[in-house]
Amino acid sequence: MSEKRRLLLFLAGAVGLAAIYTAGILNMPAWGTYRGPYGDVIAGLVVFQRHATDVVNAITYDYRGFDTLGEEFILFSAVTGVTLLLRPESEEKKKKFEEGENPASFQDRAALSETVQVFTTAMFGFSVLFGIYIGTHGQLTPGGGFQGGLIVAAAPMLLYVAENTEAFERIISHPIADFLESVGASAYALIGVGALALGLPFLTNMLPLGTTGDIFSSGTIALISACVGLEVAAAFMGLTYEYLREILSRSRNEED
Amino acid sequence: MLADFPYYIAAWIFLCGLYGIVRSRHLVHTVICLTILQSSTYVLLLAIGFRAGGYAPVFAGISPGVVTVDPVVQSLMLTDIVVETTVVALLLAMVVKAFEKGGTTSPDDLRFMRG
Amino acid sequence: MPSPALLIVIPLIVAGFLEGFRKLIPRWLADLVSVLTGLNNFVLASAWTIHALARTQVYWFGDWYPRGHMALGIGFVMDGAGCAVAALTGLLATLSLLYSWKYAEHGGGHYHPLMLVFLGAMSGFAVTGDLFNMFVFFELMSTAAFALCGLKTQEPAPLAGAFNFAVTNTVAAFMMLTGIGMLYSTTGALNLAQIGLLLTGRHDRLVLAAFVFLMTGFLVKAAAVPFHFWLPDAHAVAPTSVCVLFSGIMVPFGLFGAMRVYATVFQGSFAPTQVHWLFVGSGAVTALWGGMMCFAEHHVKRMLAFSTISHTGLMTLAFGLWSKDALTGLFLYLVAHGLIKAALFFTAGILLHRFRTISEPALFGRGKALPWTAVLWMLGGLGLAAAPGFALYAGEARVTSRAPWTEGIFLIAGVLTGGAVIRVGLRVFYGIGDRGPTDKSAEVDETPETDADSQRIPWFLFFPPLLCIGTAVALTFWPAFTNAAYSSAVRFLDFRSYAHAVYASATAMKMLTAAKEPLEPDLLFGLLRAGLAAGLAVWAVQHLKVPRRLRWPSHLEGSMDPVRSLQSGHPGDYVAWLTVGFAILGAAAFWLGI
Repeated sequence: MSEKRRLLLFLAGAVGLAAIYTAGILNMPAWGTYRGPYGDVIAGLVVFQRHATDVVNAITYDYRGFDTLGEEFILFSAVTGVTLLLRPESEEKKKKFEEGENPASFQDRAALSETVQVFTTAMFGFSVLFGIYIGTHGQLTPGGGFQGGLIVAAAPMLLYVAENTEAFERIISHPIADFLESVGASAYALIGVGALALGLPFLTNMLPLGTTGDIFSSGTIALISACVGLEVAAAFMGLTYEYLREILSRSRNEED
Repeated sequence: MLADFPYYIAAWIFLCGLYGIVRSRHLVHTVICLTILQSSTYVLLLAIGFRAGGYAPVFAGISPGVVTVDPVVQSLMLTDIVVETTVVALLLAMVVKAFEKGGTTSPDDLRFMRG
Repeated sequence: MPSPALLIVIPLIVAGFLEGFRKLIPRWLADLVSVLTGLNNFVLASAWTIHALARTQVYWFGDWYPRGHMALGIGFVMDGAGCAVAALTGLLATLSLLYSWKYAEHGGGHYHPLMLVFLGAMSGFAVTGDLFNMFVFFELMSTAAFALCGLKTQEPAPLAGAFNFAVTNTVAAFMMLTGIGMLYSTTGALNLAQIGLLLTGRHDRLVLAAFVFLMTGFLVKAAAVPFHFWLPDAHAVAPTSVCVLFSGIMVPFGLFGAMRVYATVFQGSFAPTQVHWLFVGSGAVTALWGGMMCFAEHHVKRMLAFSTISHTGLMTLAFGLWSKDALTGLFLYLVAHGLIKAALFFTAGILLHRFRTISEPALFGRGKALPWTAVLWMLGGLGLAAAPGFALYAGEARVTSRAPWTEGIFLIAGVLTGGAVIRVGLRVFYGIGDRGPTDKSAEVDETPETDADSQRIPWFLFFPPLLCIGTAVALTFWPAFTNAAYSSAVRFLDFRSYAHAVYASATAMKMLTAAKEPLEPDLLFGLLRAGLAAGLAVWAVQHLKVPRRLRWPSHLEGSMDPVRSLQSGHPGDYVAWLTVGFAILGAAAFWLGI
């Protein structure tokens, strides 16, 4: 279909879509007047029932924990899919990649000032620490596994910016990342199965709840959050590695 | 009507995203437009959960009886953002591979499937 | 009874471990473990079906029982229809994994985990009682599907197909989420029963808008016209075992999702007569369009994909009729179609394995070496035409028993799709007639999926289609199956008992008796349909012996290019059609609903 015809077709449909969306909005409760019971009831219950102060995390990993399990496996499938799509085509190409060197474009750049390099490398350690902090304190303050995991996964980027590509490659290609990603996803499900083993419905919070405000509180919420954090961090590092390998392998293979 | 501004923004973003996909000339652009569509749903859901004068639903520092905004939509969005990012990564991997095999990133050249 | 969570959780956990240890696990172990996991799902789901037919049981995750009328957590509602569909999923997944034993391309060890995740997601989707949970499983199902679709990355074509699939289905998912948001804003609930109770009697514009958004999302998955463009592209490039799951389960699941949401959330808002015409119209158009495009195809898998579109359209039509008989017929049809389509795809895969091509002209006459495969294929074709003896026939008869005017649509769709399959069979397996017209789509050939010695057909390639056809025939003669479908249909239609089960948690439902009138399907009509399909096929194949003026089938086969060019492969086109379809659906809904 020609571009113009496609656009006209779309515009015809878009008018209808806009009209329907607007009709919906006009009949929605006014903005700022959230009145639904669900959020309020849970907010009222959380501190007493689960000894957690971050309601959002309690919902994510406990009240609606089963949803989060599904979401985590979406992450798992997507990362598996990327690994599947970008896998090396043949043993030969794989060998050439592993034995090749970094392409010239990586090495010959005008050197960054030393200040930037040192500072960025130092920030790496801080980022990892910060990520772990966020990841483990999810039940108390905003944070939790997903956020913490992402911060940890983004930390190696600082090394890349500091042009420390060897260290970068070494960190993100570590086999433990691959292993943690898959097994981390299963670990979440296994915690849920643990509840089944006790005769309770799946994913019941069956660990001791501890004191509110303590880091070791809220039972399985903290534990699941940590598992998710590990998995997300491993998943994103794995993703970065897959993309990096794709670029590098193309250039290393081209060198012949 | 003006008070429902955020909802209209969400609708507008949705339409922009769709428009982008339809008019896209580069596959990476198409994928990014999907991200835009995604944002529209987040804006909608978070706007729905907002309560004027409500506190953040974290009781560290405020007492449990206080009126908060809706935590449920925040929970839904939290996981969704991370997850959809990986789906976008999957799509981008497809684009990378299509470029490697077909030498092109134009949607017009996807007509291998014509007919 | 074991926890329903196991239906989802076991495949997911096994998938995680298979992926994590993939460098250490030998191929045979991965195959064995996956087949056993699939079999476990089938057995569990079947046991649950039998249990659920007696009483619908509700299972709350995390021990979060509802407070009054407010659901705190996520609940699974194990009713007959959901469990039965989950059982079908388990069966087809097991057969697919068996089919891909040893020889099929396994993508560096990623194939098995993705298939198991796919299985778990579909099982969850079938039985969940929570709207957002439904969305999550929809997304999980889709993501695994996108990844599996791109398994064969040696050619650019698989990536194009997977990309179009991914873009259109992701747009659909976001439309669904928008609908969910709209409903949440007004009801503050995510549990299906709860929303249904809160929306009873309301049919203002918000409910209608949410309805349009949600239904569009599901209908994209169900490949209704004009949302169907992604399906043939995806099927043409996905490996055979994956196509089986796509056509057999995933696409009908789009419809099942729409039905589930309508039966719980919207049934109190719109009387069936109001939305009736929406789905009947959509179904009829899809069935006829799909049938027509099916006959015009010469790439065997794309042809089967169009036939799926057509038959899902017929099921949508049955949904629109919304009566006990129509839904009974729908459930029978769903199972039968899944089995027959699976058998056809498995057989097509045998052809691909043996002859390394899947294009009708290229395969001409080469199938003569496979007499038993030919039998399976022809039986499949007759089954699609709803010939007597196949469960599809029983399903169709039940749907049309109360609405005889739909008979014509079923006839045309059945004859076109069945006829196309028989035509391919006559050309490929018996070498009758000539090669037929070649077209561009048939030229885009498929790379073989297996790397074994292709002279032999191993037993695990032959057994799955045999079992599928056999089951499709056997189910016709098993009254308990029809009774089960009837009980499920009655329960599905009854929202009050659904809500009661959810809030009183695991109440005993009264035992439902068998179908009141045992139906004697019109044997003559069934034979007529089968005969017409075969006749159409012969007519098409022997077109040279027919006077030029009467060569309609060849015209249908060969000169559909303007229409077929709509299937352009450009994602922008598909999304434009999606938007237009949404607008049409919306306009129709508003016109009918207010």
